[in-house]
Amino acid sequence: MLYRTAGQFKTSYAADHALFPVRQDAWLLGVILLFAFVIFPLTASEFTFKALLTPVLVYSLAALGLNILTGYAGQLSLGTGAFMGVGAYACFKLITIFPEMNVLVAILASGFFSAAVGVAFGLPSLRIKGFYLAIATLAAQFFLVWLFEKWAWLCNYSSSGSIQVPTVEMFGTPVFGPNALAIVQYYFVLGVVALITIAAINITRGRIGRMWKAVRDMDIAAELVGINLMKAKLSAFAVSSYVVGVAGALFVFLWRGAAEPVAFDIALSFRVLFIAIIGGLGSVLGNFLGAILIVALPVILNTLPATFGIPISSAMVEHLNTMIVGALIIAILVIEPHGLARFWQIIREKLIMWPFPH
Amino acid sequence: MKRLRTNLLLPAALAAACMLSAAPAMSEDSVSLPNLSYRTGPFAATGIPLMNGQRDYMTMLNERDGGVNGVKLGYEECETGYSTEKGVECYEKTKATGIITQPWSTGITLQVLPKSNVDKIPILAPGYGFSPMADGKVFHWAFNMPASYWDGASMILKNISDGNLDNLKGKKIVLLHLDHPYGKEPIPLLEVLAEKHGFTLLPIPVGLKEMQNQSAQWLQIRREKPDFVVMWGWGAMNAGALTEAAKTKFPMDKFVGIWWSGHDGDMASVGEAGKGYRSISWSVPVSDSPVMQDIKKYVLDPKKTEIGEGEFDWVFYQRGVLISMFTVEGIKAAQEHFDTKVVTAEQLRWGLENLKIDDAKLAEIGMTGMIAPFSTSCANHAGHAGGWMLEWDGAKFVKVSDLLQADESVIEPLVEAEAKKYAEANAPWPINEDCKM
Amino acid sequence: MDFLNSVFVKPFADMVAAPDFLLQVLWEGLVAGVLYALIALGFVLIYKSSRIFNFAQGIMVVFAALTLVGLHEKGVPALLALPLTLLVMYLLAVAVERVVLRPLINQPDMILFMATIGITLFLIGFGEIIFGGENKVMITEALYIPTGSFEFEPFGGFLLIEQKDLTAVVGAGVLVAVLLLFLNKSRIGRAIRALGDDHQAALSVGISLSTIWVIVWFIAGVIALATGIVWGARAGVSFALEVIAYKALPVLMLGGLESVTGAIVGGLAIGILEKLFEIYWGQPLLGGNTESWFAFVLALIVLLFRPQGLFGERIIERV
Repeated sequence: MLYRTAGQFKTSYAADHALFPVRQDAWLLGVILLFAFVIFPLTASEFTFKALLTPVLVYSLAALGLNILTGYAGQLSLGTGAFMGVGAYACFKLITIFPEMNVLVAILASGFFSAAVGVAFGLPSLRIKGFYLAIATLAAQFFLVWLFEKWAWLCNYSSSGSIQVPTVEMFGTPVFGPNALAIVQYYFVLGVVALITIAAINITRGRIGRMWKAVRDMDIAAELVGINLMKAKLSAFAVSSYVVGVAGALFVFLWRGAAEPVAFDIALSFRVLFIAIIGGLGSVLGNFLGAILIVALPVILNTLPATFGIPISSAMVEHLNTMIVGALIIAILVIEPHGLARFWQIIREKLIMWPFPH
Repeated sequence: MKRLRTNLLLPAALAAACMLSAAPAMSEDSVSLPNLSYRTGPFAATGIPLMNGQRDYMTMLNERDGGVNGVKLGYEECETGYSTEKGVECYEKTKATGIITQPWSTGITLQVLPKSNVDKIPILAPGYGFSPMADGKVFHWAFNMPASYWDGASMILKNISDGNLDNLKGKKIVLLHLDHPYGKEPIPLLEVLAEKHGFTLLPIPVGLKEMQNQSAQWLQIRREKPDFVVMWGWGAMNAGALTEAAKTKFPMDKFVGIWWSGHDGDMASVGEAGKGYRSISWSVPVSDSPVMQDIKKYVLDPKKTEIGEGEFDWVFYQRGVLISMFTVEGIKAAQEHFDTKVVTAEQLRWGLENLKIDDAKLAEIGMTGMIAPFSTSCANHAGHAGGWMLEWDGAKFVKVSDLLQADESVIEPLVEAEAKKYAEANAPWPINEDCKM
Repeated sequence: MDFLNSVFVKPFADMVAAPDFLLQVLWEGLVAGVLYALIALGFVLIYKSSRIFNFAQGIMVVFAALTLVGLHEKGVPALLALPLTLLVMYLLAVAVERVVLRPLINQPDMILFMATIGITLFLIGFGEIIFGGENKVMITEALYIPTGSFEFEPFGGFLLIEQKDLTAVVGAGVLVAVLLLFLNKSRIGRAIRALGDDHQAALSVGISLSTIWVIVWFIAGVIALATGIVWGARAGVSFALEVIAYKALPVLMLGGLESVTGAIVGGLAIGILEKLFEIYWGQPLLGGNTESWFAFVLALIVLLFRPQGLFGERIIERV
């Protein structure tokens, strides 16, 4: 009923390829954006901002970056955590060396550093494929984290070896550091994520995106029809690492407030990979759905026993939580290997047909 | 079956305890004292006895005295598994109601440290965290009593040099440390001391993934032939290091650890081979002290909570008890000073800053001999209590030294300099100007 | 010049100057290598027969070791606990096949890989509930593993070889030999290899996919138990052991995902080379702790020349 497409005629190719060929999709997105931009900020508590909303957005962005590489260009990477680290350390050095730099510029510029590192570690992808490439990206993961630990210049020789976010203002309001309000940080993150998401949607729909997809589906065939493999693969690494690097800067500067090298450990890479796969490879929407499931669900599960007065120790909750997340991953993969994004597609198709299926 | 039963019973027992304390808490006065615990993850083995000790002291006070001056102690755990990410979540979750926060890992401490100024919640990091936190003027809300890592390092050196650090001239000391903010803590002080007293310092890092396989590190130690090995280890790293030390026949009396490396549970896997290994400690287990006996009587015997076999006598379990004591004494001091029953976070901060743990106090709360007397002030948040050397005799840790005191004349300027550096890097950082000490 | 000297001359001079120390380094590297090879072998077997990159091998090691120690703690004699643990590993194999593998037949490799990470998380939570998080001591003596050590004095220095390490090396050798014999000579072994070559062809000649998968996962479980005993005897049994799974990944890259020989040769090579690099180059020049990445970088360099690893099957691509 709600999703009836009858009456919406396309009279040109451009209209058929528009972002929202179905009007209801645009409305739905509008409602979601209304929630994200108006309703959540009005109602959320500081805990909700800090433990749910901001991390979900940051992780979605990181997963989006990985998804560009893995879902669109077909290059499996397990080094996401370290690339996030490059972004975070670059941002830290930028704002400590140039304190008067605008924070938005610093965040967006830090992505270029991770993009450069990403391309360097992406070079082997020209020769190595599949799982071999995945393990090769692990070399980046372990080497970079070791470098963060050893290279004291990166953290300005702080005695603890970790980076601390100083208070930095933008237009007179603190955005980084302990004095920044959670709501300001949320809006900042939301803005950056929205911006990059729009860019990502358009890149993946355009010429470059189709080039990536061709390489993903079969790289030799792609080469035969005249796609420059080197250009395609390296551009995927560059764009993906850029997005991941920005996510890493947001991760430390607008959410965590401090980070030691171990924060960018392999566990972070896996977490982002979960989100991308559970959400659905090769989909932008999936990253957000995946992040909600992987990041927000455990937080909510943690609060459940207390809310319902179920007496259970916090350690037990944590054990159960790990088990539930593990079981959920298996369950979702078994039910729908293409992830949550495909789920939504199925629901949408059903809605369009409803109430008269064939 | 025993393990299984313990694990199933534990939550049930805890639940019962929670119900008992939570149900009347609605009508009675109570304070919420959150603890960012880690009973899971790679460091769980060291976390569990500490958390149990903390929990049981509070439970005992609630059972025996009905809390502190009629105010129930609402001890709550939020599980982090030592992960900094969970740390943010737990801090945010508990800061609304809690009047204190106990971050546990150095990583979480660093993360919470700047926020505590804004949220106005005291951080209690007893014997861990960031050593410059001892400077109360800069770190208004953070406490690392009864001693900082630098105090610990100074005490260790004093002991191995027989009281005079100049005896170390020309010697080589290896610092075997976890490659993590925690493990790097003592390096600034040790570097200063090495230069001053003419010994060589060689830090050997152990990666988080290499904790259990330290053969490369011990090969290096064999090659370097150091006079002493000082260890800043944690969790599985301790047992790993001791196993390798025993294997490579490194003399155990030349091997000393910080207080977190003196855990009975870690030593169990080494057993007899670890005989002679020492660890500095600001706490000493005294199982027949009145407080421990009361815990047994009011908490453990009626099965209000359950702990592992033999855990009662462990250094870490009884250290957990002492850690809860700091909070409780802080509450008492604040209650008296502000003439109120239910203290707020800000009042508790004052209480923690004005702790007077002297011999009379220790006798009053039944903890004589478990910890050295110390006091805090607005400038001194570490207390700089002394410590003792505990030696592993093959089955348990025994006290083998007199009370050792850190050399504050070296530490103080360093604390001041590092605290200043931190404040500058994080400007604008509020400094407590009222403190005239 | 100084720099070149410290990279190209000094390490070798050190090796020659203290040959007993070099021997010790090589021995330590060899023992570590044997363990890496064992874990890698678990990966290879599963990959060969089902094209699954089984990330759960690491947690299976922990799980097996904990079950063994846990049973012994509850009063089961060690020699009875061993077969009981094997039974548990068998049940685990059956459960994995039923719940995870069967519904996921024919899915892309990536999905199966993620599923094994799901298994890992599940087992971590499950294991911590049952066994608790405390460190446990491997029941070395109850299993009649000698714990003493031999000391030699070659070149006027000293060399120390622990008997349990020696047992581990010999035990692993025997295990590998039996496994190779089983894979090459027995009916089931041939069926496993047939599956590895071509699923459909194997099915069409009457090989049961699900039976073979259960058997393969069970063998991986047996290897996990062996690894757990050996590693646990060195460093105690706790969940921190799980990280050794990462140690096997570069071994697989170096040796090739499908090759049993590759796993063994790769494991030994990485064990020895990473120890040599750490002691003679890493510690003096790079601040130490290079073992965390050396193996990966080494494998990466090898892959640039041989994209399928040293012993992997040649990748033939057709359009």
